[in-house]
Amino acid sequence: MIQVVRVKNNDEKDRTKVYRLEGISEKQAKILAENLLCEEISQNYTINKPIFSNAIEIAYKPGVMNPEVASIIKAASDLGIKLLACDSSREYLNKAPVFNPLIEDIVKKEPKTLLIKGIAGKTKIIPLRQLTNNELMALSQDKLFLSLEEMKVIQKYFQKIKKDPTDCELETLAQTWSEHSGHKTFKSKIVVDGEEKEPLITRIKNEALKHKKNIVSAFVDNSGVMDFYDDFAICGKGETHNAPSAIEPYGGAMTGSGGVFRDIAGTGQGAKNVISQDVFCFAPPDYPTEKLPPGTLPPKYLLERVVAGVRDYGNRMGIPTNNGSIHFHEDFRARPTVFVGAYGIMPKKYAKKGIPKKGDLIVVVGGKTGRDGIHGATFSSGEMSERTKEVNATAVQIGNPIEEKRMFDALLEARDENLIRAMQDVGGGGFSSAIGEIGEELGVSVDMKKAPLKYQGLSPWEIWVSESQERMIVVLEKKSLKKFVKICQKYNTQASVLGKFDGSRKLNVTFGKDVVCNLDMQFLHHGLPKKLLKTTKPKSHPERAKRVEGSLLSQKEWIRAIEKVLESGDVCSKEPIVRMYDHTVQGTSVLPPFTGVAMDGPNDAVVIRPLLNKPYGMIVSHGLNPALNNIDPYWGSIWAATEAISNYAAVGGDYKEASLINNYVWPFPDEESLWSLDQSVDAVVDFMKVLKIPVISGKDSLSSTYRGSDGVVIKIPPVLIMSVFGKIPDVKKTVSSDFKKIGSTIVLVGKQDLKILPKVLDTIYQAIQTGQVLSCHDISEGGLITALFEMCLGGGMGAVIKQISLFNETAGTFLVEVENETAAKRLFANVPYVILGKTQKQNNIKVEKLFEVSVAQLAKAWKKPMEEIFS
Amino acid sequence: MKPKVCILRADGTNCDVELFYAFEKAGGKCEYVNVNQLRDKSKSMQDYQILALPGGFAYGDDIASGKIWAVELISFFKEELLKFHKKGGLIIGICNGFQVLIRTGLLPFGNIGKMDATLAPNDSGHFECRWIRVKSEKSEQIFWMSVNHGEGKFFANKETIAAIEQSGLVIFRYIDNPNGSLNDIAGVTDPTGRVIGLMPHPEKFVDETQFANWRRDKISKPHGVNFFEEMIRKL
Repeated sequence: MIQVVRVKNNDEKDRTKVYRLEGISEKQAKILAENLLCEEISQNYTINKPIFSNAIEIAYKPGVMNPEVASIIKAASDLGIKLLACDSSREYLNKAPVFNPLIEDIVKKEPKTLLIKGIAGKTKIIPLRQLTNNELMALSQDKLFLSLEEMKVIQKYFQKIKKDPTDCELETLAQTWSEHSGHKTFKSKIVVDGEEKEPLITRIKNEALKHKKNIVSAFVDNSGVMDFYDDFAICGKGETHNAPSAIEPYGGAMTGSGGVFRDIAGTGQGAKNVISQDVFCFAPPDYPTEKLPPGTLPPKYLLERVVAGVRDYGNRMGIPTNNGSIHFHEDFRARPTVFVGAYGIMPKKYAKKGIPKKGDLIVVVGGKTGRDGIHGATFSSGEMSERTKEVNATAVQIGNPIEEKRMFDALLEARDENLIRAMQDVGGGGFSSAIGEIGEELGVSVDMKKAPLKYQGLSPWEIWVSESQERMIVVLEKKSLKKFVKICQKYNTQASVLGKFDGSRKLNVTFGKDVVCNLDMQFLHHGLPKKLLKTTKPKSHPERAKRVEGSLLSQKEWIRAIEKVLESGDVCSKEPIVRMYDHTVQGTSVLPPFTGVAMDGPNDAVVIRPLLNKPYGMIVSHGLNPALNNIDPYWGSIWAATEAISNYAAVGGDYKEASLINNYVWPFPDEESLWSLDQSVDAVVDFMKVLKIPVISGKDSLSSTYRGSDGVVIKIPPVLIMSVFGKIPDVKKTVSSDFKKIGSTIVLVGKQDLKILPKVLDTIYQAIQTGQVLSCHDISEGGLITALFEMCLGGGMGAVIKQISLFNETAGTFLVEVENETAAKRLFANVPYVILGKTQKQNNIKVEKLFEVSVAQLAKAWKKPMEEIFS
Repeated sequence: MKPKVCILRADGTNCDVELFYAFEKAGGKCEYVNVNQLRDKSKSMQDYQILALPGGFAYGDDIASGKIWAVELISFFKEELLKFHKKGGLIIGICNGFQVLIRTGLLPFGNIGKMDATLAPNDSGHFECRWIRVKSEKSEQIFWMSVNHGEGKFFANKETIAAIEQSGLVIFRYIDNPNGSLNDIAGVTDPTGRVIGLMPHPEKFVDETQFANWRRDKISKPHGVNFFEEMIRKL
């Protein structure tokens, strides 16, 4: 019997919340209504009676995890009532709001039970050995996403060992060999214009490892780890979640955040997440809906829902989201870029994983396994098409941040008790990937029957590859188990032993007594055929758009031109979004995203003090320029890296104490896109060479191409996101971008030139160290005039400057406020600099001989676009 | 001897570290206690002088903010809490902790098990993180504090608000009301003065550099320090 409780807020006329409570009496439902579900002070309720005569109810589809359910069951139990199952949903009077049919549905009929029942499917044998090429490809399409060549290697392997594979074995191979997990393109040699070059990843690693000073671990763990102070280490990682976000942006952004937080939590023997970073690329929010390709969602909806997902996950986890940016280009209309970065801190003694020994236990901690997220890794490696939404609904899921939070709390305590040998995040590919990876050397045997399930009826292969969120694999010595389980209980998180390291060098997976997978680790991890890729320089490239410049414009035209820059998507204020993210949680904030008189002046990077009782700072910044990559991928990538490190230096960071993280989000690497990727990697390598600092972590996602049934192909502009993180000994020696003093001198420092960049960065750092820099802002999107405007806005004052190029986006240059010209000459003598003018009390920006405009007028244009969407 | 402070945690508590730091700085001796440790009796709240409920999203703030945790406290610790309060203990809730205390009924009138007021969704309809000014009712001093919440609008019926005002239970009022709270109420106490709750976060401003504008505003004493010193003094 299901009791239905409807709760309505007194001040809302058109909606109610619906709770379905299974396995209790109406009397018990009344107790729950009065003590838990409804608050008399502002709400009223009914039991088993409608509130509206014409209601439309929208609920999560059965099997989609509703995070509220666990809390309701817990609170009911605290009130002495045992629920068999429950659900919550919303009812609307007369008309339903927009909802996503992938995860939600209109409830047409009262359900008889909320329990999902089913009998676990048997392991199937796939008669692979006798399949023709066409049959092999039919098997691969929409499911395995492997090429014919790869399918044939697999076929040959099974012919050799004289058996046919199980469904689970095929899934494991597909997952391990997917672009998402296998990074095939990055590992292949490339012939560029007839000349053979080292694989992309080799080039990056070789250069990076020449700059080892601060590296604790690079390219080997879930994130890159560098040295901090006092026996601490800090780590960073970036991930994209483009494919899921394209079809279910809220869940996609949530699970993207959850995944990268687990990467940090699962670094070494465990790190604490201290910063969350997010970067999005969409089509312009006002892009006409009728021009959208079939099977894609409107960009404004994507933007709103992605922001909500980042907000709800990061805030609940208590991780400050304090660095990020949003970029717009119409070629993101089919597939957005949704990037989430995370940074952590840990005692150095826990910064590296221990080596598992034979007999060590494999334990799953955290959430239960369900059917959600099946084929996520293989799916995200495939290109997007109209069929994507239809075929891959199971790849979509919603996150539950509290499940992850309590798991992390437990893991950090277990780490401090020295209980953890090693850890692996359960992300793309599920257990298959996590267990397959940690077991590579020794071999493992695990029993899928021991995995806690959300509901019955999952086939063994589904349990094995499910990407259900909020799970980690922990490696323990047998003797640590009891203590470990006790800690997990304290935090209400579940721990279950799945199996152990057995020394077989095989991946043995059973379901009870049935063997579901028995693969050689050697073939699984090294059987993937190495490719030799080819590319040539494309013949023509689009011209760089010319910016308005010159002195022929009237004052009115100048002001309009500036307003147009300020209200453009990449430049305009993102404050309404940033304010929805918590950036002061953990109490670590030293430089938040916005400061100044009205706290609306944007800063270039975030500075935190991760250890509250120490003066040490951690700085995080980033840069990207997809539009420029479209025109010149080498130059666009140098620009992105320069912008990232300039943001870092502008707040007071010492670039020599910084590490880089590079994330490549590219169209499918056909000949053309492979060429731009090759260029971009060369740029990153050259950047490392010049600055003598390493990339220590990175990732690639090479599937952002859309193919419509009408032959339309849409490639995103290639995205290189360069993130920078590093350390400073004293947070007091950092600056914000808001002008501080009336009558001070404004200086333009630096030149757009990679060769002199190190000298410029060092000069800025040294100047800030002396305490003589009152404020500093780097010049990037929107050019000098944008930087000047933002400094004036933050400072609540104006400025008068001489005539100079206003719109050039000269990455690597800075606007600096110092007391007077003498100070400027002293501080910047060794690098190119120009004294531009002075700050003034009057709230106007005046460019001599050109125009004068009020800061307030410009602020209006700059703030309007996002206010319109988010307020 | 330093007063012992119990920093109580539940699933989803996330402002515990900075609250711990703030109390220690003001002279408290802090300990993290998980609510499960009170339930299995491996810890007792009677061993502390201050019981502090930090900010966060206890149990995801499902149903309503702080609701699930409030139900847990009422169900298992009604007598314990009354005993703790009666013997002179201080109970403090900040942000999510305040939401919990309101939903247990401990605030504003000490009616455990009965809600007299509520913290409703912000007028803006969403979570907001910003620095705002609040004024202390007693000292009339103005403090900068950070607010980080989606459900912080202090709300009750007219009679209740009048009773709160008449009894002088308001301790902080917003100068920049971020959520639409009635009478700009940012924090209240119970009639004994020993149960205290507020939405803004004094614990996030006990060091100079924690304030967004420390580079431009001269700060002689971080604004949250007073709050914690006064709590310790109250004992």
